[in-house]
Amino acid sequence: MNLALIMPELMVTGLAFIVLAIALLIPRNQQKNLGYITLVGLLGVLINTFIYSDGDQQLFNNMFIVDSYAVFFKVLFIIASILVVLAAIRYVERISERQGEFYVLVLFATLGMMILASAGDLITFYLGLELMTIACYILTAYHRGNKKSSEAGIKYLILGALSSAILLYGLSIIYGLTGTTTMIIIAKTVNQIGMNPVFLVANIFILCGLAFKISAVPFHMWAPDVYEGAPTPIAAFLAVASKTAGFAVLIRFFLYLMPEVSASWITLLGIIAGLTMVLGNLVAIPQTNIKRLLAYSGIAHAGYLLLGVLAFSKDGVMAVLFYLAIYLFANIGAFMTAGCFVNSTGSNQIKDYAGLSRRSPFLAIAMLLSLLSLAGIPPLAGFVGKFYLFTSIIAKEHYLLAFIAVIMNTVSVYYYLQVVRMMYFKEAESNEKIIISNPVKLVLTLTMTATLFLGIYPGPVTSIANQVAINFF
Amino acid sequence: MEFPILSMIFLAPILGVLLILFTSEDDHETIKMIAVIVTSISLVLSLYVFLAYDRSVGGLQFVEKVSWVKEFGINYYVGVDGISIPMVLLTSIVIFCGVFASWRKEKRVKEFFIWLLVLVAGVFGVFIAQDLFVFYIFFELAAIPMYLLIGIWGSTRKEYAAMKLTLYLLLGSVILVIAIIATYLKAGIGTYSIPELASVSYSPGFQKFGFFLMLFGFGFLVPMWPLYKWSPDGHVAAPTAVSMLHAGVLMKLGAYGIIRVAINFFPMGAAHWSTLIAILCLANVAYGAMVAMAQTDLKFVIGFSSVSHMGYVLLGVAALNIISINGAVTQMFAHGIMTALFFTLIGWVYNQAHTREIAAFGGLAKKMPRIAIGFMIAGLASLGLPGLSGFVAEFQVFVGSFKYNQPVAIVAIFGVVITAVYVLRVIRKVFFGEFNERWSDLEDATGVDFIPIAVLVGVIVFVGLIPAPLVNLINNGVVPLMTKVTTSIGGGF
Amino acid sequence: MYEFNGIAIFFILGLGLPISALIGSHILSPKKSSPQKYLTYECGLDTRGETWVQFKICYFLYALVFLVFDVETIFLYPWAVTFKQLGTFAFVEMFIFIAILIIGFVYAWKEGALEWF
Repeated sequence: MNLALIMPELMVTGLAFIVLAIALLIPRNQQKNLGYITLVGLLGVLINTFIYSDGDQQLFNNMFIVDSYAVFFKVLFIIASILVVLAAIRYVERISERQGEFYVLVLFATLGMMILASAGDLITFYLGLELMTIACYILTAYHRGNKKSSEAGIKYLILGALSSAILLYGLSIIYGLTGTTTMIIIAKTVNQIGMNPVFLVANIFILCGLAFKISAVPFHMWAPDVYEGAPTPIAAFLAVASKTAGFAVLIRFFLYLMPEVSASWITLLGIIAGLTMVLGNLVAIPQTNIKRLLAYSGIAHAGYLLLGVLAFSKDGVMAVLFYLAIYLFANIGAFMTAGCFVNSTGSNQIKDYAGLSRRSPFLAIAMLLSLLSLAGIPPLAGFVGKFYLFTSIIAKEHYLLAFIAVIMNTVSVYYYLQVVRMMYFKEAESNEKIIISNPVKLVLTLTMTATLFLGIYPGPVTSIANQVAINFF
Repeated sequence: MEFPILSMIFLAPILGVLLILFTSEDDHETIKMIAVIVTSISLVLSLYVFLAYDRSVGGLQFVEKVSWVKEFGINYYVGVDGISIPMVLLTSIVIFCGVFASWRKEKRVKEFFIWLLVLVAGVFGVFIAQDLFVFYIFFELAAIPMYLLIGIWGSTRKEYAAMKLTLYLLLGSVILVIAIIATYLKAGIGTYSIPELASVSYSPGFQKFGFFLMLFGFGFLVPMWPLYKWSPDGHVAAPTAVSMLHAGVLMKLGAYGIIRVAINFFPMGAAHWSTLIAILCLANVAYGAMVAMAQTDLKFVIGFSSVSHMGYVLLGVAALNIISINGAVTQMFAHGIMTALFFTLIGWVYNQAHTREIAAFGGLAKKMPRIAIGFMIAGLASLGLPGLSGFVAEFQVFVGSFKYNQPVAIVAIFGVVITAVYVLRVIRKVFFGEFNERWSDLEDATGVDFIPIAVLVGVIVFVGLIPAPLVNLINNGVVPLMTKVTTSIGGGF
Repeated sequence: MYEFNGIAIFFILGLGLPISALIGSHILSPKKSSPQKYLTYECGLDTRGETWVQFKICYFLYALVFLVFDVETIFLYPWAVTFKQLGTFAFVEMFIFIAILIIGFVYAWKEGALEWF
């Protein structure tokens, strides 16, 4: 029993409890320092995670798998939480008296995601999923006294609970068919059983639950309201980490558990991907609130990522992994810029971004690069990611989906450019300085550098993603 | 390792961008000086490449190849041959003049030059790229700076034009990306390098499909009728230097792509679709010319005239023989210079008069003789007067297309007549005739503002009188391409 | 397929009986309404003051804390009967489990979840 394998998770748990304990002991006005403690702790966890980068090992009788796939995702989750905590340090002061619990909850959400990525058993996976989502429910409603925040929290809670229930039902059908909950044994049994109509039913249920998490159509309704109401760092966390976790599970489920019965889920995924891309992009056009715009863009991106999953090939998995890595930076950049802006001016409306290039060139460039990366314009990272995704589905000759994807991509450029237009073309209404706190500056610099760097030199990360995909297959 | 000249050509503008980023926003003089210096560097280097290219050897020269993304066989692979060098030279001349044409800019100068240099770096990159992925990245890189440049510093309906242009261009790009990926996968050799992909022999069915997709994608940029709608609005709305780049260089990206990539990879597809291209090019020539006649805004006239002249390039492509492709490439160069000259002159007039309505002008030659002469030369070049560069190009296109299909060629030649009509009419109305007293205080172009006009006129006249260096170089590049095409189709036209 | 017969019958009965009971009572009941029948129920007495009072969160928090420790107790039972066979590791591990829950308990205590008002 090699406990060193779950050291990252143990460290996160320990860190969470330490922060909780300290939060109880220190007075209110010094709670900000908890954020720094969390940061240091998370950096330590990150370093630790890199230790077990290869090899395929398992723990607790295959309930917990540590392979390169799981490690890749854990690294992404930890980077996401580091960036979110960094950016949130000043933000949380404003929105609530209780700051300590914020960091504890983020840590627990990260813990849930890490368990999720490493899950080797249906129950472990469900455990991780619930830990993550429940922490996220609370974080969404964290802004005390803000109606929108509470509304977002309740919506997320109810819809999330419902979809978790449906997911669980699907899992139970799988258990009923195969007689076990351990994923490795399920995979073997599914191979033996072969194609069975009940798999389609189980897949539909599971897909309902998971599609909620990744905000795919028609389970996307929660996303705009929740992103709009949640505190902006948390919206970023949801958009990035929660979606990445959803995809970690999706790929693990459909490509690991059920490679033989692919007929039962490829068409389903194709339909959902097509609908998601079309709806996500089209409804984003009339949006006036930047967070809702980013929510719909996130919905559309879930569609693009699903393309990589349904390509059902090593290239597809590699494309999804690469894209999730760069999506993290682009999305956090966009959300944090919006968060900084709302902290200073109190507005989330796009029209208030007018003249941002004069008021704060730094914020304008950060937003520009993030949005262009999301739009898939070279030389930014988003382009390379989309290129890989399109390559993987064209290789499988899904030409219709490819055309829908590229045309919708062009549509997406329109609404991203609307924001750019506001920032660069229009004159500013007021000339107040926008205060950008140092942690946020650091986060934005990091995301901008990463987006540019990965776009111009995608080689290293592509190799890593490729290695992981090869190991996975 | 030999000095990476080609990378330097496109890195010089990037260096300019970095230097300008650190210059203070109010220091206009330094910003403009930096821009002039880096574009001069590019100009000198491309002249060097033009002269140093070894014509006896031919093929790709000044090659640089660095592995970039191993998994997909993507390399940073650049090189030039007879077809690309004129394009690189064209770009460097146009941007050099463009920087001078923007000398009088006051509004947000720093950002203007930053985006302008990013745009030109992208365009250089397209012309020197020998790897499809690199080609495509630079191709797309040109779209967003155009959006910002037109949207912030443009004139008539700038935001509408900017958005329209960007969306059209990106639509073309995405269709292109599907064609590129499909080609890569069909070739199955695991690399994106253009020479290697070109040497693969594709099935006839795929060739027709691939060529059509690429034609569609590149066609947005040519602009081919009916995908041209972004072009006139874009021309009119853009500020002078951007119009020069747009009409002079950006529009050549499409035709260059067709010749370098589409015909190269899919000769059978090119032969199959040549009838369609011929018909559409006639639409370009005739429709463009006739609509140009009806315009009342100077820039719209030139915008539609550009659409019309690119029709000749398409005609050369459709005819698919050595002379016609020679003519197509020469026309790209000649038209680029000529249209850049047109826009410089119009920009100067607009700067002073703040209107471009033809009816408002009259007898301007009295006040701006140099502008008038420049305009005359540009106009005569555009209608193909022997002794100027336009004739060299159009003559080759017509000879080549005559061999291909006589009726089409005859219709195209008549396009010249229509061109003559509207060009001469515009010149008469604006520069000659009754002097409109309203313009008594207009100044002529002198000093710094005269440099671009002098350079461009010089090139037009030089190429017109001594076409051999340019045409031989182009021929050098076209012959291997066409030999491959004719052997694939089994006999030429 | 026929293994599911029992479940099908169970399902139909489970659905049908309550529905028929409700429908039956709705049809068979005498329909005599009077204003008193629509008054708010207050254990037989008349209501005093506002009947829409704020839900007291203390009930909820008590139930929550109770639930957590009740589940902990349930986990303790099987451990208690077999921990001798499981060895030292299980012994220490259960104490870690209880410690985690005690930290949570201390948190709830300090944050005033157990205050009754």
